[in-house]
Amino acid sequence: MPRFRAALLAVLAAAPLLVACGEDGGPVTLGWYVGQESSGAYREIARRCTDASAGRYAIRLEQLPRSADAQREALVRRLAARDRTVDLIGLDVIWTAEFAGAGWLRPWDAERATAVSRGVLAGPLATATYRGRLWAVPFTSNTQLLWYRKSRVPAPPPTWDRLIDTAELLPAGQGTFAVQGGRYEGYTAWVAALLASAGTGLVADPEDPDRARADLAPGPAARALGVVSRLARSPVAGSGLSVATETESSDLVLSGAAALTVAYPTLYAAARADAPDLLADLGWARYPAVLAGVPSRPPLGGLNLGVSSYSRHPGPAFDAAACLRSAAHQQLAAVRGGLPPTLELVYDVPAVRAQFPFAVLLRESIAAAAPRPATPAWSDVSLAVQQVLHPPASVDPERAVPELRRRIDDALASQALL
Amino acid sequence: MRRAAWAAASLLVVAVGLVPVLWILSLSLKSPATITDQRFWPSDPTLENYRGIFGSALFTRALLNSVGIGLLTTVLAVALATPAAYALTRLDFRGKALVLPLTLAVAVFPPVAVVGPLFDLWRALRLYDTWPGLILPYLSFALPLAMWTLTAFFRGIPWELEGAAQADGATPWQAFRRVVVPLARPGVLTAAILVFFFSWNDFVFAISLTSSDRSRTVPAALAFFPGDERFGQPVGSIAAAAVVVTVPVLVATLVFQRRLVAGLTAGVVTR
Amino acid sequence: MSRPGGPPAPAGTRPRPIGAAPGRPATRRRRRRRARSAWWLIAPAVLTMLAVTAYPVLYACWLSLQRYDLRFPDQRGFVGLDNYAAVLSAPVFWTDLGATLVIAGIAVAIQLVAGFGIALTLRRAVVGRRAVHAALLLPYGIITVVAAFAWQYAATPDLSFVSDRAWLAERWSSFAVVIATEVWKATPFVALLLLAGLAAVPEELLETAEVDGASAWQRFRQVLLPGIRPVLLVVLLYRILDSIRVFDTVFVQTDGANGTETLSLLAYDQLAGRLNLGLGSAVSVLLFALSAGTALTFLLVFRADLRQLARREER
Repeated sequence: MPRFRAALLAVLAAAPLLVACGEDGGPVTLGWYVGQESSGAYREIARRCTDASAGRYAIRLEQLPRSADAQREALVRRLAARDRTVDLIGLDVIWTAEFAGAGWLRPWDAERATAVSRGVLAGPLATATYRGRLWAVPFTSNTQLLWYRKSRVPAPPPTWDRLIDTAELLPAGQGTFAVQGGRYEGYTAWVAALLASAGTGLVADPEDPDRARADLAPGPAARALGVVSRLARSPVAGSGLSVATETESSDLVLSGAAALTVAYPTLYAAARADAPDLLADLGWARYPAVLAGVPSRPPLGGLNLGVSSYSRHPGPAFDAAACLRSAAHQQLAAVRGGLPPTLELVYDVPAVRAQFPFAVLLRESIAAAAPRPATPAWSDVSLAVQQVLHPPASVDPERAVPELRRRIDDALASQALL
Repeated sequence: MRRAAWAAASLLVVAVGLVPVLWILSLSLKSPATITDQRFWPSDPTLENYRGIFGSALFTRALLNSVGIGLLTTVLAVALATPAAYALTRLDFRGKALVLPLTLAVAVFPPVAVVGPLFDLWRALRLYDTWPGLILPYLSFALPLAMWTLTAFFRGIPWELEGAAQADGATPWQAFRRVVVPLARPGVLTAAILVFFFSWNDFVFAISLTSSDRSRTVPAALAFFPGDERFGQPVGSIAAAAVVVTVPVLVATLVFQRRLVAGLTAGVVTR
Repeated sequence: MSRPGGPPAPAGTRPRPIGAAPGRPATRRRRRRRARSAWWLIAPAVLTMLAVTAYPVLYACWLSLQRYDLRFPDQRGFVGLDNYAAVLSAPVFWTDLGATLVIAGIAVAIQLVAGFGIALTLRRAVVGRRAVHAALLLPYGIITVVAAFAWQYAATPDLSFVSDRAWLAERWSSFAVVIATEVWKATPFVALLLLAGLAAVPEELLETAEVDGASAWQRFRQVLLPGIRPVLLVVLLYRILDSIRVFDTVFVQTDGANGTETLSLLAYDQLAGRLNLGLGSAVSVLLFALSAGTALTFLLVFRADLRQLARREER
């Protein structure tokens, strides 16, 4: 019996080894963990870099779930468990501080940092920087534009208030304004953009753990939340506002129910693929402002590439990251996947211009976009925002501001139940 | 009249029991084009979804993990619980009265209560995302279940036959092998099936303590299936995978029906 | 049958435990040796069980007294009961406790009533017992996640053959779907146990009562219910404890949206999503205390009944 049990334990201990062995000699394998991308652009770029490395490394694409929240959850658990199969990480721009602060990323040394920072748009570069160091290299960027049906809306409204007025005048069934009001990061991004456009923010001194605190200047914050409140109570929001993500917004536009929406340029790519008739009627303009005369600060999205602290092959991993984000590959991601570049000169490439007829506005908007605060506790802050301000129709601007301030301060101390 | 009413009630029970299973089977046989036809039976059954999941390492690896982890858990649990249950039935010792209540207490605690500490321990011991990393927590419900079932079974064994065999000239070993083993076998088998069901079913540990196809089991893989976005999840593939993992349950149910019922009710009910 | 030297085992009775053989010159030393060998047989199982449960539970208690977020490793430190204060003062904890109790309460009530009905049906059924048994074992054995998906898809517009309503988009209809799944999955267990319990109620007793003019309700109250009371209590306790920790169904069907988040899900989110082991462990310990408290209260209140069951079992 004891011998039997010993044999069993041996089998038990060996089982995972049996599966995990192999891989010796030849190029090192680099695991690139990144969210799903449906056009296949990432896979193609990984293949090209593998070929270009001339046998030094082979990039293995490991796809994470599609939603950013689920990607983050999968990644932080792996990294907290010191998973050595993670070499390259596709980081949403909002994760840099959290991952760097936890010690999961290797910083880029001065020489490499200088090399990869050259020619990068300032906004995206800032999202990869935390406490004065570069923790990742910008790969793709993103921001939202205002999209509207030219046949129904003669001129794009410059502010949120004018936008709601315009939509309310349209006949029922044609006047929906689609915005991301579901309970997820996209909703926080909308709220953060409204606050920034009103001249305030969610967190002050986000990078300094001792001084970080809720920002939310009372007047501007109430003004910004007033937009959420007014829109949610207006018939133009449609019935699905509280569960709407980018997918729902895009569906509303493509089906013709929505006359206006704020969305990433993927909307244009979706229209081109699924509703080409609509393309000629689709207009674009700068993200709406909260205050008339004060330029808007649209949300800033995108993907940076970082190297894991637990990678066994940091040298090749840094080289691979630099290769993945090269101008040629950003162009490929833009043309095939509709992903806006982070290198300024790529916007002038004719093929990219053809993909983004709004390229000039896009680059301008990225330059004006407001990054979400670079605090290591960002995901907690975002959950706090969603808890206090969701569903959108429940928002009472005057009362929500102090409550939000209290909850953000708790979240920054990572001591709030969320 | 009364008999007809009871028969109708039986029929209703069978229907309610089967409809959700048939529904998932039907979904698994629908193609992307017909999946939204809102009909109970597939109009144009296809095996496309099955080809899809068996062509993806994500599912086949998860299936291998589920089977491997389930079998190892079962063997370990039964190997540890059988001598314990024998001692509980046949021997007297101090503290005996405490063992079964303790087992019961262990069986009902919420698994999520130990996910945090296990995650912290496993990342230190490098057991995170490994087979043993799941088998060990599985023992927390597998052992009580096996001990409880086996003890109840062993209480029903006519142990005097062992003595009788020895009286008829058999050596103790022969008596054990020829008399006790055949008598105990059904109980051990039942305990094994129940334990396997439970580890096959686990979800909390499987999503918390794994992160890749190295050790992710089918229930956890189902929750993370990538694919078409229309419903936020790939319905056809999930349904097909669900059907595949239900087959062992179905077979066990049909083959070992009476034993399973006896095993389930053992320990709660007098015989 | 018995012979000198062997344990006395009169035919027709259950054997006594070997160590307890009375009257014989079984010396104390021999008894002690047997007790020791008993411990050798039982120790591996008991020690493993304690190692995989008691140790992590104690570790969870220890973690719950610390500020310990894996994303802020430098800030780890002892904070006393701060985590509990944070948890108990958060509205989300009470909302989730409420959701847990709603799901557990309604589901268990329906399971008991339906389970009892099925048990009575099976007791009376002359034809198709095998089919009914199989139809009961299938939901019992099926993976909970699979059951959750099946019911979810039956409640999803565009997919469902039942209705075009978005059941999972609103709080109370979401509860309905979760509860229906839980009921479907667990009622068979209740039914099979109650059926076995009913076997202990002699048919003649019911017939006598019927001859004496007792109505169906009286027969139920005065004959059936007392007969299965101990079994019913065990089933009830087991179902309550199992429902308090409900996780799989809610995770798959709503992931806690629309106010359907349960305590298990809340703990999971703190632990696995935020890596806040301190706060998450505090929620876990409270959930554990809720389970243990329920079990203890139950055992105290129904002490007499359960003792009766234990005696029956010993016989």
